Amino acid sequence: MRLPFFPTPDLGNTIITLMAAMVLVLQIATVGQRWLISNIRIFAVQSMLLAAIAGIVAYFNHATHIYYVAFLTLVLKGGLVPWLLERLAKRIGIRREIEPLINVPLSILIAGGLTLLGYYVAESFYHPEETSVRAALGHNTLAVAIALFLIGFFTMLNRRKALTQVMGLLSLENGLFLAAISLTYGMPLIVELGIFFDVLVAVLILGILVFRIREAFDSMDVSKLRKLRG
Amino acid sequence: MIETLVKSGMQLVLILLIAPFLSGMIKTLKARLQTRRGSDVFQVYRDIFKLLRKGMVIPETASWIFSAAPYIVFVTAILVGLMIPMTTTHAPLSLFGGVLAVVYLLALGRFFLALGGLDTGSPFGGMGSSREMTISAIAEPAMMLAIFTVALAANSTNLSEMAKVAVSQSWKFLAPSQMLAFAALFIVLIAETGRIPVDNPDTHLELTMIHEAMILEYSGPYLALIEWGASIKQLVLMTLLVNTFFPFGLSSDWTARGLALGFLFYIAKLLVAGCLIALIETSNAKLRFFRVPELLMIAFILGSLALISTFLFI
Amino acid sequence: MVGVSFAISVACYLTGAIACLASSRRPALARYICCTAALAGAGFGALAAVLGILRGTPVRFSVSSGIPLFAYSFSYDALAGFFNLALAILAGAVSIYSFSYLKEFEGKRNIGFFGFLFHALLLSLTITFTAADAFLFLMAWEVMALASYGLVTYYHEDEETRRAGLLYIIMSHIDLGCLLLGFALLSQASGSTEFASFHAAAVQMSNGRQVAAFMLFFLGFGMKSGIIPFHIWLPAAHPVAPSNISALLSGIVIKAGIYGMARIFLDSLGGVPSWAGLLVLIVGVVSAVLGVLYALMEHDLKRLLAYHSIENIGIILMGLGAALIFRVEGHPQLAAVALIAAIFHTLNHAIFKCLLFLGAGSVLHSTGTRNMEELGGLIRPMPVTAFCFLIGAVAISGLPPLNGFVSEWLTYQSLLAGFGVTGGLTRILFPLAGSMLALTGALAAACFVKAFAITFLALPRGTESRHIHESPRPMLIGMGLLTAACVALGLGATGFLRAFDPLTEQLLGQRVGSNLISGKGLVLSAGMPHGGTVSTAIIALGLLILAAPAALLVWMAAQRFATRRGPSWDCGLPGLSAENEYTATAFSKPLRMIFSALYQPRREIQAVFDVSPYYPKEIRFESEIEPTFEKRLYAPLQEFIVRVSTKMRAIQAGSIHAYLLYIFVTLILLLFFGARP
Repeated sequence: MRLPFFPTPDLGNTIITLMAAMVLVLQIATVGQRWLISNIRIFAVQSMLLAAIAGIVAYFNHATHIYYVAFLTLVLKGGLVPWLLERLAKRIGIRREIEPLINVPLSILIAGGLTLLGYYVAESFYHPEETSVRAALGHNTLAVAIALFLIGFFTMLNRRKALTQVMGLLSLENGLFLAAISLTYGMPLIVELGIFFDVLVAVLILGILVFRIREAFDSMDVSKLRKLRG
Repeated sequence: MIETLVKSGMQLVLILLIAPFLSGMIKTLKARLQTRRGSDVFQVYRDIFKLLRKGMVIPETASWIFSAAPYIVFVTAILVGLMIPMTTTHAPLSLFGGVLAVVYLLALGRFFLALGGLDTGSPFGGMGSSREMTISAIAEPAMMLAIFTVALAANSTNLSEMAKVAVSQSWKFLAPSQMLAFAALFIVLIAETGRIPVDNPDTHLELTMIHEAMILEYSGPYLALIEWGASIKQLVLMTLLVNTFFPFGLSSDWTARGLALGFLFYIAKLLVAGCLIALIETSNAKLRFFRVPELLMIAFILGSLALISTFLFI
Repeated sequence: MVGVSFAISVACYLTGAIACLASSRRPALARYICCTAALAGAGFGALAAVLGILRGTPVRFSVSSGIPLFAYSFSYDALAGFFNLALAILAGAVSIYSFSYLKEFEGKRNIGFFGFLFHALLLSLTITFTAADAFLFLMAWEVMALASYGLVTYYHEDEETRRAGLLYIIMSHIDLGCLLLGFALLSQASGSTEFASFHAAAVQMSNGRQVAAFMLFFLGFGMKSGIIPFHIWLPAAHPVAPSNISALLSGIVIKAGIYGMARIFLDSLGGVPSWAGLLVLIVGVVSAVLGVLYALMEHDLKRLLAYHSIENIGIILMGLGAALIFRVEGHPQLAAVALIAAIFHTLNHAIFKCLLFLGAGSVLHSTGTRNMEELGGLIRPMPVTAFCFLIGAVAISGLPPLNGFVSEWLTYQSLLAGFGVTGGLTRILFPLAGSMLALTGALAAACFVKAFAITFLALPRGTESRHIHESPRPMLIGMGLLTAACVALGLGATGFLRAFDPLTEQLLGQRVGSNLISGKGLVLSAGMPHGGTVSTAIIALGLLILAAPAALLVWMAAQRFATRRGPSWDCGLPGLSAENEYTATAFSKPLRMIFSALYQPRREIQAVFDVSPYYPKEIRFESEIEPTFEKRLYAPLQEFIVRVSTKMRAIQAGSIHAYLLYIFVTLILLLFFGARP
């Protein structure tokens, strides 16, 4: 696959960093979002950006299996999963999230803190003496990936509605995906396939569970589920 | 090959003929010691011959094991006898079985005899089998320790080797390890042959029978085989005892003179051992069954002392 | 050829598993597929084993999986060959036996699922014995544990079975954990998970690590084999499984622990600490004696056999311990003899224990009970089964001329040799171990007199009303094969000894097979000059030859009067019935009294009378021995764990957010402290 102009690795690096930054911004945006449909759509855009990042990485490293991974991300996480979730949200009929546990300004502050933590952790992986393309690609995207992961987790913690917790889980997984791409240039295909399958099944199961929760408690509020105790 | 067969044949005849004589002698001596007249020393021969001529009654409840047991008891006892040096240091079948084979072949005989006792369905048989297997189980460790002491001195479990080593070191029998091992094995001999103070061979009271209880239902030729087998087993164990610890007179070759001399010494040793047994039987009462393990524990301690003294005192 | 046969055998088991599962709806078809596939797999497995043993050098091959750092690597050497041979013989006999045994499941249970688990078990055992990579080994080990669990709890509607299965799976996972840690230690030292790389790394590990590795492996493999005090799952799990599976469990699954010990201690760890061999020897002695003592008190036929497995594992460990001691002290020839004794006993025990369990299975199949106190007189309706069981009983008691005697003889010889070559206080341990071996042998003989006689001889104790018939022919053929193997290995032991040469050469660098054979191939010798010798073939021949004149004598004598059948004399007491017969509990009473310090027997008698206490209407008798290990070791441990867990309950508050918060905080802390630049 040849583009009309010859892209240099530097150009690729810049594009990737740009896209990673957009992903991060989008993620922080979801922290403050109250409308559920918007969350889902933001997730879809995030996944498409991640697919693009994967594709560029594949191009510059001539790793064909990452093309497959990128394609799968685009189709599954950028298309199928958001569609399923949107359908579910419409059936349940909720549109707004109730108040999160921690109010919005504070949540965004915490998300910023987690981003800093992500950079701190990525520092230890950064070896400036290596001038290869690989090393440079590694630093920024890894920080974003870790931040994405932590913020996703925080979202799960912060929200009450089961569906939003699902969203948190999915962005957590996105973060892991990005980390894998930036560090090791993708895991073996069989592992990636396994993870995709995992995500798909998780979403399907959570979809069913969400219905049940609604029926049993007449509300999506997860804090009403208190039976799993010692 | 032919030589082995000839020697085996000779030793076989010897075993078959001497065993009842030994039993008879011990019985007569016991009687005399108890100031009875008793029977003469050839009575056991007459008993066996009489039993062979009598008809047999087999219990209805019994199976083929009841019929097989006498043969196995008899044959294992004889086979063991062929592995033990009697008049010479070289036993005919010593290459094919050492002291471990001796112990376990006798155990094979006992196994089937116990099965035969239980096969009759009578509670006496079961009781005899149970007690016999228990006593032999408790006696095994003591026997093994004593045997190991001798085997370690000879560096072999082959009985001919042990006899040869014993002959070549003729005063070694006074070593403390040998004495202790002899004492341990003597106690085990009493247990294995069913003599007072472990078991009374002349009783038929339920509380006091062990060996007799197992063979209660046997009659006729089967009983003859069992009695003969028991006296052969007794002979064999006593031979093992005397020839391993007091190997005088064992000739090292199969010359006529050597054999004759060996035979005389052998009979003399057997007579001495028989007298000892008769004395012990007369002067002791039979132990209560649950005191027998104590006696055998003493044998075990003697055996371990024998073992320890092999490397502490030499 | 070895690789090809091995691959075909593995393929047979795999296809058998899948095909059985697929044919769950058609029981007869599932039964056929299960048994024929297992038989085919066993046949090829035996071929591979024999070729592998004869070949002398190991065959290595690896198949890569899609996952990096992990390739399926196999190494088929003499040790693998021996264990695979035992597996193949057992699998073959059990599959022929199962042909009829499984018929009773038709219509009531899922035979397809049984076949699936059965084949999974056989497959995992084959791979365990040949794996050359730690991951593959552990995966096969876990599959073996899971398949066994499924088979043990096959009769899952029974409370006792479920509890036994639970105990089994818990102990299996504890031992898996120990093995995992042990392998982790070795892999960390050597940098790879291949068995071949462990040897060089192990000798360079620090002393503390070597000791830790040894203890972890000993605990892990020992738990699987059922050493005392980790044995409590064995008498619970083996009796409740279907009898053909109990045969496999006692026959070969617990030997996987022995295989692991031989592989790791002799092959991978290179050297073990000098006290290690002593520990193995002492554990062996304790297991043997306690195993047989507990077996004596049982009147459940299968539990009795399960305890005997513990005893025989003890005997095998005695040989193995002696081998380890000799190796450390620098007597490789003696170590080779001791190792041969241990491995030969493994093979022998597999065969006769399988035979005994199949016999017990036939009894259970015909009479519906495993309680000896309800059986009796089965030798008349089931003569062939009785004969096979008798041969198994004679073999396990170590009586000549069968195979049990040969391997015990070799064990005695190696223990005796130990006295001469070691020094100090350990010297005395060898003959003491020998005397304890004699004790267990005699107690085992007593126990099997009881087991055989109460079950098969005299009058039936309660099964007269049931119509008892001989087992169907496939079951008899399966048992017959194993009986023939017992006799062949016993009489022809000297013929098989040279086959151990590749094994000892690989593990210890010695070839002693020819030292052990003398006298034109008929006599087994201890390998030392003027050492002990025995010949089971000549003994058998002698017994037969001498029996002829005795039989002639009796025949001639019986010509005078006819032999007649009559009621038992019984000292002249009339009315002998089945109720007067000796029971199993009564048979073992003397030993219960003698060893009362161990058993702590408790007895309770209650009599109900209405006119006078001398004429009771009804007597209730209860006798119990104390389950020492359960009461003193496991119950306090259980209590402690439950107490600690109750205290820790507090953190499980019930709120999902709380749980997520725990995870999140831990994660942040880990990242913060773990990722320092």
